[in-house]
Amino acid sequence: MIDLATRPSRLLTNFDEVRSILSALGPESLDEVRFKAFARFKDAGIPTQKDEEFKYISLRILEEGHFGPAYGATVERSQLAKVPLGELDAITLAFVNGQYAPELSTADLLPPGAFIGTLADAIEQSGPEALASLGKVATLEGKLGKQNDERFVDLNTAYLGEGVYVRLEDSVILDRPIHVLWLSTADHGPFAAHPRTLAILGRGSRANLIESYIGLAGTYFTNAVSEIVLGDGAILEHTKFQYEGSEAVHIATVAVTQEGNSTYTSNNLNFGGKTVRNDINVWLNGEHTETWLNGAAVGLGDQVIDNHTRIDHAKPNCHSFETYKTILGDRAHGVFNGKIFVYLDAQKTDAKQTNQAILLSRTAEFDTKPQLEIFADDVKCTHGATVGQLRDDALFYLRARGVPKQEAEALLVYAFAAEVLEKISVAAARESVEKLLFEKLRSKELSEEPTRG
Amino acid sequence: MLSVKNLYARVEEKAILKGVELTVNAGEVHAIMGPNGSGKSTLANIIAGRPDYEVTAGSIELNGKDLLGLAPEERAAEGIFLAFQYPVEIPGVSNTYFLRAALNNIRKHRGEPELSMSAFMKHIRSKAELMEIDPSLLSRSVNEGFSGGEKKRNEIFQMAVLEPTLCVLDETDSGLDIDALKIVANGVNALRGPGRAIVVVTHYQRLLNYIVPDFVHILMEGRVVKSGGKELALELEDRGYGFVEEELAAHA
Repeated sequence: MIDLATRPSRLLTNFDEVRSILSALGPESLDEVRFKAFARFKDAGIPTQKDEEFKYISLRILEEGHFGPAYGATVERSQLAKVPLGELDAITLAFVNGQYAPELSTADLLPPGAFIGTLADAIEQSGPEALASLGKVATLEGKLGKQNDERFVDLNTAYLGEGVYVRLEDSVILDRPIHVLWLSTADHGPFAAHPRTLAILGRGSRANLIESYIGLAGTYFTNAVSEIVLGDGAILEHTKFQYEGSEAVHIATVAVTQEGNSTYTSNNLNFGGKTVRNDINVWLNGEHTETWLNGAAVGLGDQVIDNHTRIDHAKPNCHSFETYKTILGDRAHGVFNGKIFVYLDAQKTDAKQTNQAILLSRTAEFDTKPQLEIFADDVKCTHGATVGQLRDDALFYLRARGVPKQEAEALLVYAFAAEVLEKISVAAARESVEKLLFEKLRSKELSEEPTRG
Repeated sequence: MLSVKNLYARVEEKAILKGVELTVNAGEVHAIMGPNGSGKSTLANIIAGRPDYEVTAGSIELNGKDLLGLAPEERAAEGIFLAFQYPVEIPGVSNTYFLRAALNNIRKHRGEPELSMSAFMKHIRSKAELMEIDPSLLSRSVNEGFSGGEKKRNEIFQMAVLEPTLCVLDETDSGLDIDALKIVANGVNALRGPGRAIVVVTHYQRLLNYIVPDFVHILMEGRVVKSGGKELALELEDRGYGFVEEELAAHA
């Protein structure tokens, strides 16, 4: 732990500066929640690589980076045309540097029983109890695990000011996707923003939620928390598209609670950022649920992409399927840590986890750690991990037919990731992401010639 | 068209080719036969540019152009096609997409415009018909889940689509039943023509009943030790490779 008492990080000193501004959102009790969360973060400090959960990722930059409070900035609509998913046809809520940007958002006529808006709007419409679930989902209290680490959730809660609230009453089916667009442009120095999303889907409701984190300029720190509750039989596809700027730090926690018979699909896509950490935690609170955790990441240059997932099989008869694919070149570093907890009562659990990485250079690194802790005796849990290079035989086959090397490599890497990208059901979003991947790969000499001994 | 001179090659420290000489003219069909381990497949793969082999001496020229300095895709663009002994399965890459990328690159090299999508589809459908390939295979991933026969047919189909000037078939007959063998042979024969040469690498004479060669070469221990007409293949079938060894011993 870095001793914050002697070397105060801006992440701590900002608090006094912005406390009074944050208080504008929500009742006094929320202020207390913020203060307690802040105290916990301050006690715990910024994690170092000695902390088990952060073993492979250096967050020293958070110590030294001078990330001041987020400030307002303007993004022109025309800029959106240039970013992937920027013009996605969806119910759109846009934020710039963590602040709501109505001019980039859409005003949609929603079906009765649906609310999609900012946290502030939610309080205005329904009173403070609208946010009663805040903080109740993103918590590991009372859950298995010896190294549970929630300090970035605490940090987010400490600075809780703006965010998104999605609420679907029972049986509300939303066909149009919801797009929450978090844009960052650090044109006046480094800042830290703490986006918060709360989505509550009633029994039998259905939605498609896309969260995009897109960087336009500069060095900044996004520390996001999304809390999601799926009622009995609810269905949610949740795509998180991370395309932060090349100097950005992105830390995000997605916490999900699934009631019985619900289906949650997570598509966790990581293309940008310099230092990236995702924690996706799913708590299965009812029987006969289905959980799909899909991940695709491309790391080049000096990017670090650290994905942690955990599925808490707390009830019997639940199925979870996890597929993570990582592509790493240059000196990039990827991490996959997949925890599956099967609780004593959770008989007939079926959990399947696979994670694969392709290393395109000798200096790229991938660390994988499947972590299964099983306390029930009648369960089916499998996991598999492979780390490899592009297949030489496939590469030669394509080239021998006339496909140039660079294109052949891009094609093979693309094919590797395709299994995950296919899971994005919103066609326009899927195509944008596929195009981005292909362009990113094509622009680059991917593999090194084999050395001869 | 193809001129291989004094070709020496090795894989890691093991010498495989030890002075291969081979000349193939336009319009001709040559068969290269030989026992296992004689270097036939190595020769086929080196012509196509497989990086696993190291050429230590000699030359390979196509129409006077040195091939050894060229990348595999450049050789393909010059008109070389290797039908693989073991076609590779590539999940996630569609046959159609990949063939279009290959064909357009070859056309670009020749100074021809890219084919439009509809012209391309028309082109590949006619070739698929020739090779009796189910059109649904075209949209599937390259060779993924194909049977052995389907894979070999897919090779010749791709050859028909790309219209190379020099076709090298590496043990295309291995693992084929007689019906598949006929389809493959028909496809190859349809490509015979004055501007094109075909080199068939095979262990058995059987394929040569259907693709009748103009010349037969016997490769042993990394060298062409005997050449003749199509009757040489029949003689091999009758007498085995032993008689060639005896002849060589007698000359020694």
